Amino acid sequence: MRSQIEASLIGDYMEYKELGFKCGLEIHQRLATAEKLFCSCNAIQDKGDEIGNVSRFLKPVAGELGKLDFATRFEAEKKNKFIYNIYRNSTCLVDIDEEPPHEINTEALRFALKVAKALHAKIPDEIWVMRKEVVDGSDPTGFQRTMLIGYNGYIIINGKKVTIDGIYLEEEASGIVEKGDGYIIYDPSRLGIPLVEIDTAPVLLNPQEAKEAALKIGLILRLLGVAQRGIGSIRQDVNVSISNGARVEIKGFQEVAKMDKIIENEVSRQLALISIMKLLKERNARIDKVFDITDLLINTNSKIIKKGIENKGVVLALKLINFKGILGFDIGKIRFGTDVSAYAKIAGVNGIIHSDEDLSSYGFSNEEINKIREKMHLNENDSFLLVVAPKEKAERAIELAKYRIELAFNEVPKETRAADNELFITRFMRPLPGGSRMYPETDVAPISAKDIDIEYIDIDELIAKIKSEIMNDQIAEQLLWSRLLPLYLELRNSTKIKPNELAILLTNKENELNRDKKSIEDMPMDTLIYLFDLYSKEEITRRALEYIIDKMPMSKEDVDNIIKNFKLHRIKGDELKELIEKYKASKNIIEDIMKDYRLNIDPNELRQLIK
Amino acid sequence: MYSNDIEDLLKKNKIEIGDKIRIEKNNDEFIGTLLPRPDIGDKNTILIKLENGYNIGIAYAKDIKIEKISNIHSTFSFPKAEIKESKDLPKVTLIGTGGTIQSRIDYLTGGVYMLTKPEELLYEIPEISNIANLNIIDLMNIASEDMTYKEWLKIAKAVKEAFDSGARGIVITHGTDTMHFTSAALSFLIQNPKGPVVITGAQRSGDRPSSDAFLNLIGSLYIAANSDIGEVGICMHATSSDEKCNFIRGTKVRKMHTSRRDAFKPINNRPIALVDSKGNIEYKSRYRKIDNSEMKLFEKFEPNIALIYFHPNMDPSIIDYYVEKGYKGIVIAGSGLGHVAVSPSNNSYSWIPHIKNAINNGLIVCVTSQCLYGRVHSKVYRNLRLISETGVTYCEDMLPEVAYVKLGFLLGNYNTENAKALLNKNIVGEITDRSEFDW
Repeated sequence: MRSQIEASLIGDYMEYKELGFKCGLEIHQRLATAEKLFCSCNAIQDKGDEIGNVSRFLKPVAGELGKLDFATRFEAEKKNKFIYNIYRNSTCLVDIDEEPPHEINTEALRFALKVAKALHAKIPDEIWVMRKEVVDGSDPTGFQRTMLIGYNGYIIINGKKVTIDGIYLEEEASGIVEKGDGYIIYDPSRLGIPLVEIDTAPVLLNPQEAKEAALKIGLILRLLGVAQRGIGSIRQDVNVSISNGARVEIKGFQEVAKMDKIIENEVSRQLALISIMKLLKERNARIDKVFDITDLLINTNSKIIKKGIENKGVVLALKLINFKGILGFDIGKIRFGTDVSAYAKIAGVNGIIHSDEDLSSYGFSNEEINKIREKMHLNENDSFLLVVAPKEKAERAIELAKYRIELAFNEVPKETRAADNELFITRFMRPLPGGSRMYPETDVAPISAKDIDIEYIDIDELIAKIKSEIMNDQIAEQLLWSRLLPLYLELRNSTKIKPNELAILLTNKENELNRDKKSIEDMPMDTLIYLFDLYSKEEITRRALEYIIDKMPMSKEDVDNIIKNFKLHRIKGDELKELIEKYKASKNIIEDIMKDYRLNIDPNELRQLIK
Repeated sequence: MYSNDIEDLLKKNKIEIGDKIRIEKNNDEFIGTLLPRPDIGDKNTILIKLENGYNIGIAYAKDIKIEKISNIHSTFSFPKAEIKESKDLPKVTLIGTGGTIQSRIDYLTGGVYMLTKPEELLYEIPEISNIANLNIIDLMNIASEDMTYKEWLKIAKAVKEAFDSGARGIVITHGTDTMHFTSAALSFLIQNPKGPVVITGAQRSGDRPSSDAFLNLIGSLYIAANSDIGEVGICMHATSSDEKCNFIRGTKVRKMHTSRRDAFKPINNRPIALVDSKGNIEYKSRYRKIDNSEMKLFEKFEPNIALIYFHPNMDPSIIDYYVEKGYKGIVIAGSGLGHVAVSPSNNSYSWIPHIKNAINNGLIVCVTSQCLYGRVHSKVYRNLRLISETGVTYCEDMLPEVAYVKLGFLLGNYNTENAKALLNKNIVGEITDRSEFDW
């Protein structure tokens, strides 16, 4: 597999180089600390009962230069009410901005610095906690606390050194429970859990290399034993740009394995936008006036329009001169109109309809289309787009659509885009934030890194050690690249089970469980340690161990109960000898005993005693 | 200030705070804006803001190299706020006195500083110019813990003047820590106000997107502009949600939490009204309505009053100290119904002789309860009777801080005999006759 990747790398390398492809990664990993970063809330899953909620509004505030950050303003335009559900164990006054932050969690700091060291990064002499303004409601404070804890590190990918520009320790944001018209409900349980962010320099030469770097960083985080387990605990964002394109940050990759495809399509989208830029100039395209065409559509059969007008809406249309085909221009599985629509949606409309679409599919009659074109004085090469919504909303939607189209004449806009993991494309989320949204967190003192003693872990050495103890390269590789690695390391360190046996057991069992949509990781760590410890102390057999795993115990008590109820204790030594006595008359003694006590007896021990 | 080594290095390279610089140390290069050294952290570490917005400190070393790239000073200045003249809206005077509501982060130093002009609030809350026709007075700019009676008198005078020049309501922005002292003082100093006198502030400064200042100010302006309440009160968040503010009588309110936005609670009272961000006012209890009675400004305050918090093991000779110092009055925040030690095992810790000594020396001594909620009583227990026989005044359901302010007000404006007589009589709502169940 490795050689295949290398082969394709060389093939694509030239092409991406010519495009001026620049790509960097931002990997976010939740850290496995007991408490949150700036308070003593439980950072593990037990959030306790819901005890109430608070509702808030966030107001963007002037940044360092007295300017409101563009992205911040954009987000605030939505004027949402944010509701935070409060849970007994996982939400305190610090989370909901009713108490200043406590001192930094030193466990989190040590974990993050351990990552920085393993990535060969340098640590600033003095670390300053910053506030990064975020007003989408995911942080009740309106900002995320973040700090630079490492710089100038590197990783090696296929023999190439990839610089790690920055390593940051920051707070996780709240998760969305529900989104409705004018409000968002958040669960702040994971808010404030420490995250480490690792940013590579924009030196990755192609999508394949980006994927490899993401995998490698993920491996390092798992090996260091600092990563929180479970799906969603690691996120990969990618920054992509090409010559004449723009820096676009892509968020929300579900699988690293599909990352390269999405990056490829983002490059295609930027190339298409560059083509549109040229076309618009060649054709002397222009944005013209806005028309109120509500009266033309009072009796329309178009359900969308009809419903919109009934809800006190107006239909506004924007005339676009020499735009024929532009809104319908394919920018990689979606049309340019889809991106324009995404901007309009910020105003709270459902989207736009444009003349490069099949208007009859919306229920417009030919007569209506002709009337619209007539009223707007459209020529053959002109286009229009329309929205239906209450007046104020409709006007703002048109303004936003216009804003996006204006950008198309001169640039590929800098944006944060979401990975669409089904179509392997990206979709507009918001403009890329600028630098004017960072300011110091005055409630927390700076941290002198000199005083913190950090252990250096040699990743390559550790990998070699794991491979040698597992004694099976295939299983070792499989384990190294799987999510189970931290679990393996934990069980290896806290039980006496042999590494190779543990590795095989874990990988096989996980494959089996995955078929039923289950995972070993669903069980709590202390339960697993307890269970594997019973096995390594020979209190249960290997088969009993697997049998218990299938039952998915969620606590030590569960394990004890399963052993008791299903009579799973191991029969060994003298007890086993007595049992053999009872089966003396049997012809196939081993088979007969095993038939009755399959889960209780280790067949090797039995065979030895029978001999 | 940086260490001498760093100051010398900066001087040698003609670098000033705010310059864009390049630093080289151990083969690493840093480019960013030089920040001043805050009081916290290591003085021998250079603080810069990197181009990505992060601040980091770089410790001084002999071989450190530093050079100036440019001197584009990134200083912070608010854009000019526009005050819309809206003649048809009610006239409200906003008096700025300082506090968190008027403080902002200094982006360069990271410290919090006070806004010099209350107008700057308008930049962040433009909707307030749709509520009232605003006149802004930049009276002072101090943190509330630094407030004294002199500031109370100054604010009271400004309130009177604002009403006299045609305001129908007043909003005073104030630090929250001693806001309830000021609200009590203004309640006594301006009697029969011509309109609502609303004191407000913020628990979270306005440079934070989640600041409570926005709703507090909007709610306060609505009360000042549209309500018929002729009283002094505090208007702050009613709950932790940004939904409604309480308007609470100035003598029946106290800061009850160090950091929550709903820190101000009515004590032995209900709020007078609730107000939301749209200006809906919901009246919750009786209040003085604006009428034609004459507004009266009192211009004196006696500062030599002590407020003593009783606790077990306390040496009561503290009272003698105040007598010797020439104090005119003492407010005791006693335990429970109004107790202090009367017959402890260590006899010298009985408060009785000390209180008697104070009263014999002409001081007014009064008793309130550190329970805050409820009413003191002079008869329930024998010890209470012994205390009351000394001649102390029991202050009913008045808060200790309010009794403190009231005694200073009375002794400033009346003779001792009258002051004593008025102390446990209600003047502006500070004492209630009935204790209601849901207070």
